[in-house]
Parts: sequence; C-alpha cells; structure tokens
Amino acid sequence: MPQPTGRGWDLPTRLFHWALALLVVFSFATGEVGGSWLPWHMRSGYAILTLLLFRLAWGFAGSREARFTSFVRGPRAALDHARALARGNRTLAPGHNPLGGWMVVVLLALAAFQAGTGLFSNDESSHEGPLAAKVSGAVVDRMSALHSWNAWLIAAAVGVHVAAVSVYQWRWRMDVIGPMVSGPSQAAQNALALVLVAACAAAVYWLVVVYPR
Amino acid sequence: MNKRNIAIAALAAAISTGAMAQTPKPEDQIRLRKAAYDLMSYGFASIDAMNEGKKPYSRDEAVRSAELMVQMSTLPRLFFGEGTDKGETRAKPEIWTHRADFDAKMDKMISEVGKVAAAARSGDPAALRSAADAAGDACKACHDDYRQKRR
Repeated sequence: MPQPTGRGWDLPTRLFHWALALLVVFSFATGEVGGSWLPWHMRSGYAILTLLLFRLAWGFAGSREARFTSFVRGPRAALDHARALARGNRTLAPGHNPLGGWMVVVLLALAAFQAGTGLFSNDESSHEGPLAAKVSGAVVDRMSALHSWNAWLIAAAVGVHVAAVSVYQWRWRMDVIGPMVSGPSQAAQNALALVLVAACAAAVYWLVVVYPR
Repeated sequence: MNKRNIAIAALAAAISTGAMAQTPKPEDQIRLRKAAYDLMSYGFASIDAMNEGKKPYSRDEAVRSAELMVQMSTLPRLFFGEGTDKGETRAKPEIWTHRADFDAKMDKMISEVGKVAAAARSGDPAALRSAADAAGDACKACHDDYRQKRR
C-alpha cells in the first residue's frame, strides 16, 4: 500500500533493487558457464549498465530516501548507528541506515566497475565485449582479468549484504525487507523515472551498438 | 592478423602435411602453436560477428573463415612437445601430466570446428550459430583446465 506520507523507498528505487539483484545473479551464472551463454551475459550487462546510470540519476532526482545526500553519511554516523545497535536500540528510520548506505555505495561501485571492465573483455575464444576492438590486446587481457576477479568481490559483497539484511530482519526484528517490497508510489515520479530509464537505455545502446560500428 | 603470423601458420601447415625434418625448438613450437590459435581465432571472430549481427551473414565468408579454422585446428597439437611448458606461454603443466584428457579435448575441438565448416557450407545461419556455440564451448573446456588465467 502506498503510504500517504511518501516516506520510504519509492517504487523506482524498489524496482531498481530487485531488477539489479536478478540481473546480477543471472550475470554471475552466465559468466561462469560462458560459451554460448555469453551473448546473454552481455545483454544482461547492458541492462545492468542502464540500471546503474538510472540509479546515479535517481540519486539526485529521486525522492528523499533515494538521494545520495540522504544516505551517504560519514564514518561517525555509521559508527553511531553500530553503537546504537550494540546497545540494543533497534529503531529504524525510513531509507538506508548509515551502515546500509555504505553497503549501497560499495555494491553500486563494484557493479559499475564490473559493467565497465566487461565492455573491454573477451573470452579468448569466440566472444568479446563491444569495446574490446577499440583497445589493445594488453588492455583487453587486463580488463578481462579484472572482470573475472571482481565477479568474486561482488559475490562476497552480496553475501555480506544478504547476511546483514537477514540479521536486521530476523535477529533484530527490524523490518528492512518490507519497505523494499512495498512503499510510496507517485505517478509523476514514476513517469520521471521511466523517462530517465529510457534515456539511460538510449545512452547504453549508443555505447555498445552505435559507437563500436 | 599480421603477415608474420600468416607466414608462420603457412609454415606450420607445410610442416604438418609434409615430412618433418626435425622437431622445432621449444620456443619455436610455442610460437607456431600460438600462430595457429591466433588464426583460428581470426576466423572465429568473423563467424561470431555474423552470428551476433555485427555484420551481415555471408555464406562465402562463413565458408572461408571456417575453412581457415579447420586448417589451423590440427596444428597446435604438433607443438606441445617436451620443454614447451616454459617460456612465453600460459600453457599449464597439467597438459603434460594429463595428456590423455588434453588430447581428448583437442580432438573434440577439431571435430567441432569441422562441424562449423559443414554448417557454413550448408548456408543455414542458424546451423552456423549452433555449431559455433559448440566449437566455442570446446575451446573453453580446454582453456578452463589447461590455460593459465590472465592477470
């Protein structure tokens, strides 16, 4: 149910989250299997790149809880939050808490690094990223290696994220999953998000299809 | 693909078909097998570009590329001799300790590349795509086990 106060994660942010989660799992699996799955792996990467660009824009244009200024806090705030948890203070404000905010930044940065290196990677047999032909073989080799290693960093970060959310949700009984499922939804805001997603998709299409031609 | 590699591969083709005077030095074997792989990859890239719609399908070009791959596919195995695990190579030592498995994967690659050529001659783009997928998987199977990861 949309909350009349409009607090909590807006619909675009929630959709972004679950779409990214699915695509990351799909990308990891298809990347490990490789071979004939790589065309799908690459498409998934383009979709992730689109989502990341959108999320970057939404960090400025979205509702309060989606904005970077609301959840990217200093180490002191993160420490205070951890201390409050340790003292047994389990109250929850809408949006990302100061620790979760850093998790978001780390996950987004790792995903962006992964999407970026993937553009320049190849599999040394039959597939290559859309920009691999634009750079030297040495760069392709380095990018491919970084792409392989970073996949495991992402897996580790996702593991920490899921573990932390589970502890909040089930050990401390702080509902962090619910607000990522249902929350505020405003027509004007959703329309703006759609326009932004379309613009980001167009930019990615240019980058991976038009520009390499 | 530069001229040097083409010359090396032509030499390799001559060696494989003609009488071999002597076994090339380990460093030459490494160069020769890399040249054959490079040319195979050159042919594969052209087929892959057609399969992914990056350039229009052409039966003639598919056949030419696949035939280059077929010619190159039987060459690398000649150049994994003794002493070729050291030097400018990412070949893993396991090749020489698991030689039967390595050879089986090599055979698989050669046979899948042959099917790519058959599919190319058939003129059916869908058949070409699935044959190329299978060949790519055969390449990868060997890379996964017997080739050092890039750093």
